[in-house]
Order: sequence, then structure tokens, then C-alpha cells
Amino acid sequence: MSKLTEAIAEFTERHPTLYRCVLFGENVFKKAIFGCQDCGQCVLSYNAFVCCMRCPKQMRNGPCGGTRPNGRCEVYPNRPCIWWLIYKRAKWMGRVAKLKKYHVPVDRRLEHTSAWMNMFAGRILPLDLSKELREIELPKKDPPPKW
Amino acid sequence: MVSGSRLERLLRQGEFVVCGEMSPPQGADKAPILKKCEYFRGYVDAVNLTDNQTAIVRMSSIMSSVFAIEGGCEPIMQMTCRDRNRLAQQSDLLGAYAAGIRNVLCLTGDYQTFGNQGDAKGVFDLDSVQLIHTVADMNSGRLLSGDELKPPPAFFIGGAANPFAEPLEMRIIRLEKKVAAGAHFIQTQPVFDWPKFEKWMSAVRDAGLDQRVFIIVGVMPVRSVKALLYMRDEVPGMSISEECIKRMESAQDPKEEGVKMCVETMQRLRETPGVRGIHIMPVMWESITPRLVEEAGLLPRPEPLPVEEETTAEPAETS
Repeated sequence: MSKLTEAIAEFTERHPTLYRCVLFGENVFKKAIFGCQDCGQCVLSYNAFVCCMRCPKQMRNGPCGGTRPNGRCEVYPNRPCIWWLIYKRAKWMGRVAKLKKYHVPVDRRLEHTSAWMNMFAGRILPLDLSKELREIELPKKDPPPKW
Repeated sequence: MVSGSRLERLLRQGEFVVCGEMSPPQGADKAPILKKCEYFRGYVDAVNLTDNQTAIVRMSSIMSSVFAIEGGCEPIMQMTCRDRNRLAQQSDLLGAYAAGIRNVLCLTGDYQTFGNQGDAKGVFDLDSVQLIHTVADMNSGRLLSGDELKPPPAFFIGGAANPFAEPLEMRIIRLEKKVAAGAHFIQTQPVFDWPKFEKWMSAVRDAGLDQRVFIIVGVMPVRSVKALLYMRDEVPGMSISEECIKRMESAQDPKEEGVKMCVETMQRLRETPGVRGIHIMPVMWESITPRLVEEAGLLPRPEPLPVEEETTAEPAETS
């Protein structure tokens, strides 16, 4: 993102206790509010703040062909289709254009790491709060250390 | 021209193509595949070989495709994201290309709990859009990791679309993503609900997608009203119109009526602008394919013209 955020991420990642505190704070906040699945590469701001990793197939680029007519999941008929929720919320928030973003395959090394620090370090897409779609090219960076 | 496969050459010539579909056997013998090839050879231009469809273990789609080539049919190999991670997918694709398979259909795959191995772990490392992107990358000589591939494969890449699932706008966005990721052709679910299909097709035309990708629409012959009711109630994402159900219910001979209904859909699809072919899915009823193709007036199947060296245009410009 910027020199400052990269420095913050680097400092945090050098101090395991601090990193764990950040991760704990992030999880308390995101798991409670968004049902975060801890993939470490957050796309909430692109998906109208509904976590797409709650989908049984972990679809990141739109719904599978099995959405039921009443907007329920094909695998768990008592749960809503996550992409149905994402679409409805995006429509309501005027953020449908953001759904057109192509999301690259999940980097499994980032699972259970802090998405905020990954974002600060420039490993993943930055938070995008504007309504238009911005194309962002990311440089390749090493994954964070794990303790 | 990307792959020079029979399917691709016919589509680029502007022919209305016919695809078939067969499921590989649940056994360690290739004879059923060779036998089913008899029903397809000369009647369809390419045949889909399903990859453990509805999550039931069958012979692998790669080896089945190889046997289909042996049987004289051009295969469209299906590949799902349910059973393999990105390493296995890429290595299987390389092997498939070396074995002579030129068409690949990239799918996410039915969830494992629908099949006979509900206790399995679903992989879903990539999703279908990412898989299409990966194959397109491999075509241009790069693996997903960025490593160079020498020599690269040249696949004719397919994706799937469901015209009947809601919400429509999201479906078009996803289709657009698949096309942008590098899909050359799209196959759809079988049509049993014409008004809904028309609505989807006009949305596709409005988005200009029929000009950027070859759209091949599914049809399915049914033998009884029970099959229709099963699909309506048990298969998620399928839409069956009341009209179809009433028609099958009141039929004297449901088998004949099913064939008639399928042929009518095929003829209607041929007249629909933007539809470039049909995809017949005769689930466990492969022997009906020759009759369907003949009655729809799609025989004889055209032969592709020999490939000219300089035709290397992208689908956007030729179609």
C-alpha cells in the first residue's frame, strides 16, 4: 500500500506476541460481524461485506449453478446461498460493479494469518470502499512468517 | 484457431454443432465406452465425457476421453475442481493434451455429499473461473506459478452456464467473467423452461456475449414424467415448466412424447439468434441420439474444412 503501512506490517510480523494480538483483534471483529473464515486475503469490500468463503464450495468468483429458486444453498437447503446474499446486498448498496472483479486463486499459505497485515504489506488487494471497480496489479511477495 | 479440434473448426466455420454426452462406466472395462461411441459416431461432432458426475465414482474422464478417441469420437473432457488441487489439474491437463484431447470443459463440480462418497473431502482449490484462467494461461505457455511450459498445450476451453438459476444479473456477470478468463465455448443446462431460457438468452445478447463466445445449449430427452419431477424437486438449479410436465403426464406414450419434445426444442434452438449449437444429454439413454439428430434435421453432420495456416484469429473477431 504505502511505505508506512509496509513498515507497520514488517514491525508487527517481527514480533510474534504483537502479531497474535492483532490477529486476535481482527478475528474477534471479523468473525463476529462478517462470519469471517480466516482465509487471510480478505475480499469483503468487493463482495458487499458478505464473506464468500462461507460457501461450501468456497466460490470466490460468483455462484455455482445450484442456487435454489428461493435463494437457498444446494448443499444445505436451510442456509441461504452466500452469493445470493452478496448480490442482494450489493444491489442495495449500489456496489454491483464490484462483483465483476476476477479474484485470483486463494494463496493457501495466507490462511489463518492476519488479512490486515497482509494488506498493509501489499500481499493482497487493498480494501476498496469506492463504488467503482479499480483494477489493481499486485507484485509477488513472500508469505508472512508463521510461528 | 486455438486447438484445431473438430469442434472448434466447425464452430469457426459457422456450422451449427451438435454435442453428445456420455458418462464413463462404473467398472474397469472400456467396452461400454466403445459401445456408446457407436451411437455418437457420425451423429454428433463431439462428446462430453463427464468427470465423476453427481460425485459418483466412475472411470476417470481423461482415460475415458482417450477411449472415446479410440472409438472414433472427438472427446470434450470435463474437469472439475472437486477432486483435484491445482497441481493435479495442471499435470492431468498436460497428460490429456499429450494423449490427443483437445477440448476441455472446466466445471466447479457437484458437491461431494450428493454422491456415493459423502464422507469425502472436497478439494475446491480453484473455482471454475480460475480453472478456465489457468488453462488459458497454460495455452499461452505459463503454469499458474508463472513457470514456463515447453511446449505449451492448445486447448479449446469451455465453461458452463446455468440459464435457469437466479439472480439473472449475477449469472450474466459470472458468464462475462468466464469469457474474460479465456473460455471459448459455453455449454448450458438442458432447456425445459423456454420463457426463462429466452430471458437469459436475450440478456446474453444484450451483453454482447454471444459475439465473444460460442454458446452451445443443452437439451435432454426424457422417458417419463417421473424423470421430470425428479429433476424439478431433487436437482438444484433446474427449472421445469408446468407445460412440460402436463405434456408428459397426458401423453399416451411418454417415451415418444419425450423424443418429440426434445426434437421440438432442438429445432427452436436452431432458430434462436446467438445459439451456435446444441448439447444432447441423454442420461443413460445414449441409443436415442441418432434418432434425435435425424428428426431435428441436423444430418448429415458437416466435415470441417482443412485448417489454413494463417487463421490464428481470436474468437472475438471471427464470430
